[in-house]
Amino acid sequence: MGLYSSILIKPDMPDGRYLSERALLYVPFFAMIVFASAIILLLPYDTVYVRDQAYLQMFLVTVVVCTAVFLLGTLHNVLLWMRGKGLVSTPEKRLLCFAGRALRLLFSRMLARALGVFVRDALYLSRLKGRSWSRWFMHIMILGGFVLMFVLDLVVTLSLDVLQYQPMIEESGWAKLWLRDVGFEVAGLMMLIGLSIAAIRRFILKPSIVRTELPDAASIIFLLAVVAGGFVLEGIGIAGTIPGHQENVEYSFLGYAVSVMLPASSGEFYDAAWLVHGIMSALLIAYIPFSKMFHMIASPIAIELDGIMAGKEALS
Amino acid sequence: MIRRLDISSLDVRALMSYDACTRCGECTETCPTGGEAQDVEMVTPRGKILRLRELYKAQYGLRARILGPKKISDAELKEFAARAYECTICGQCRTVCPSHLDTIEMWENMREFLVANSLGPLSAHEPIVKSIENYDNPWMQPRTQRSRWSKRLGEEARIGDSLKDDHEILYFVGCTAAYDPNIRPMAENTARVLTHAKVDFGTLGNEEGCCGSTMMRTGLSESAKAMVLRNIERFERASPSIIVTSCAGCYKTIRQDYPKYGKLPAPIVHVTEFALDLMNSGHISPIGRVDKTVSFHDPCHLGRHAGLYEQPRSILQSIPGVKLVEMHRNREDARCCGAGGGVKTAFPELATGISELRVADAESVGCEVLTTSCPFCYQSLKSAVSARGSNMEMVDLMEFLWNSVHAPR
Ligand code: SF4
Ligand code: SF4
Repeated sequence: MGLYSSILIKPDMPDGRYLSERALLYVPFFAMIVFASAIILLLPYDTVYVRDQAYLQMFLVTVVVCTAVFLLGTLHNVLLWMRGKGLVSTPEKRLLCFAGRALRLLFSRMLARALGVFVRDALYLSRLKGRSWSRWFMHIMILGGFVLMFVLDLVVTLSLDVLQYQPMIEESGWAKLWLRDVGFEVAGLMMLIGLSIAAIRRFILKPSIVRTELPDAASIIFLLAVVAGGFVLEGIGIAGTIPGHQENVEYSFLGYAVSVMLPASSGEFYDAAWLVHGIMSALLIAYIPFSKMFHMIASPIAIELDGIMAGKEALS
Repeated sequence: MIRRLDISSLDVRALMSYDACTRCGECTETCPTGGEAQDVEMVTPRGKILRLRELYKAQYGLRARILGPKKISDAELKEFAARAYECTICGQCRTVCPSHLDTIEMWENMREFLVANSLGPLSAHEPIVKSIENYDNPWMQPRTQRSRWSKRLGEEARIGDSLKDDHEILYFVGCTAAYDPNIRPMAENTARVLTHAKVDFGTLGNEEGCCGSTMMRTGLSESAKAMVLRNIERFERASPSIIVTSCAGCYKTIRQDYPKYGKLPAPIVHVTEFALDLMNSGHISPIGRVDKTVSFHDPCHLGRHAGLYEQPRSILQSIPGVKLVEMHRNREDARCCGAGGGVKTAFPELATGISELRVADAESVGCEVLTTSCPFCYQSLKSAVSARGSNMEMVDLMEFLWNSVHAPR
């Protein structure tokens, strides 16, 4: 019995075609995973704050594994969508067709509309704002913080490990102070505010529209632990005067506030705390496709589809 | 052997939407069947989404892929099916969902999935389905009686036969207005208004078939398809410039669902759009005064589904003396009457409870005459008005207009 033994795949389809159709998707997909892993493992990481190389290696391996799990989990979920109505060949082939159509959108007159829809409805959450300012604020803090952190991560990694951009490396460089310190603090603070409101709503206020089951609680607690852990790590770094945390520490304002409560000796645990925070962040990424957080990927697609359909109707 | 759910009837977009639901619950409070009438999570939009997702992921998710599909008991499946049909497909959840899920499509598709898995429609729907299959109408009435309503009008209206002669306008009457004696005035008044405006119109007579809405809303898409194609073929034979209908359900179905199966030979408009055009072009003028406080109930199929909100209101406002008041929940936010989606047939008490809430909405703003433009809303709100012992009058919009148009100067 083959992998696709369900009624969805017509049994008279030659096996060879399954293979070729699947190869078209899986070969580039696994190549992408290998490529991403190679980049993650091969970057120099000269400027990371962790001092113990073994910790760094452990973290990098976890990131590689978690990234692969995230991508595979996402692919698995998306392939399940593809098994829906009207399937005539393999879900893999269908996914490639959809991806092709999505790419074509980039060069069509719908692009401006798609971008507008993305900014207005997926990022700014305009519909939620119209319904409840407080719920919108909560969500925009979490989403905004997440997006900002993602963008900063990309910018900082690129500047440090690829471009070796000095203002990002030097203790008093503008980019170090405003992007690496203030930028991450703001992103983390936004998430912390949003998640705290969400936790209070969910666990204390319990309004009737909120329903808490294990996946809801797990996602919030996991996220809160990662975000709060980041500030604790920062505090340990400052209290223990770890390199990179010695000058202009007040730019990392929340981490600085935490450091005031910590003894200088806490610096001994900096590397361990760094590893725990890093691994938790990586696990969080791996957990996304298997949790309610997968809406981060599916929801913008739903919003885009809705916007594009409405646009097509308007045009016709 | 484990019974494996057949997910091949679920839309790709619907499968994606199940993952896109953030579980935020914005949709739960205003859902007429889940949040307002009864506090049952599985009836709410979120509840239905999460439950179905849980069911198919148990058999197709990653865990199922590794360890094999999980058994789902018949009782669980039956409970889910019954809950899934406790939805009027009013579309309120679509308007509030921050993830912009097209829940209307999702619920209809969910029912297709239930039918494909022999879990739907419910036994309560069967007589109606059988009637449509056998008689081409849900009222178990012979086909030969379909055009009887028009005979009663005599000289009052000039109604042509669009299949025999050329008529610019094709009036698609719909089963309920054609057969139900309480709703017949809707067709009669539409015909009177059109005749008064000297519109050259005809109907498909006894050949008109059920639009297929009931079949689509209960998940019987294959039967619906055959009905749609038959009607399209009749439209082609009639070859009108415009198709007009007075039924909100037929309007939504023909406008939004027919194009999925075939090409309509002419555009379809709802009679409120058409009548407003006739008024604006001077073909009819409401002259009779109605010194009453009037409210308009937006039928879901006309409002949230098709976006027609202003036309009926403009008609009402043009009638001398009318004081139009809006219920607190109006237009996109209008509360459903409770009858749609097969709920009235399978869960009559639930439907009645919801329609009474709507009547209370109208009473709370001092409405004296409640109008609407859908046979099902009219029927259920009228019963709710009597059940509540309300002094309010329930009037179909075309009747209201006709009374003013033909009033003596
Ligand atoms: S369509 Fe209406 S009745 Fe059905 S789930 Fe949505 S809000 Fe509730
Ligand atoms: S409003 Fe939309 S995203 Fe939120 S729970 Fe309801 S269906 Fe899901």
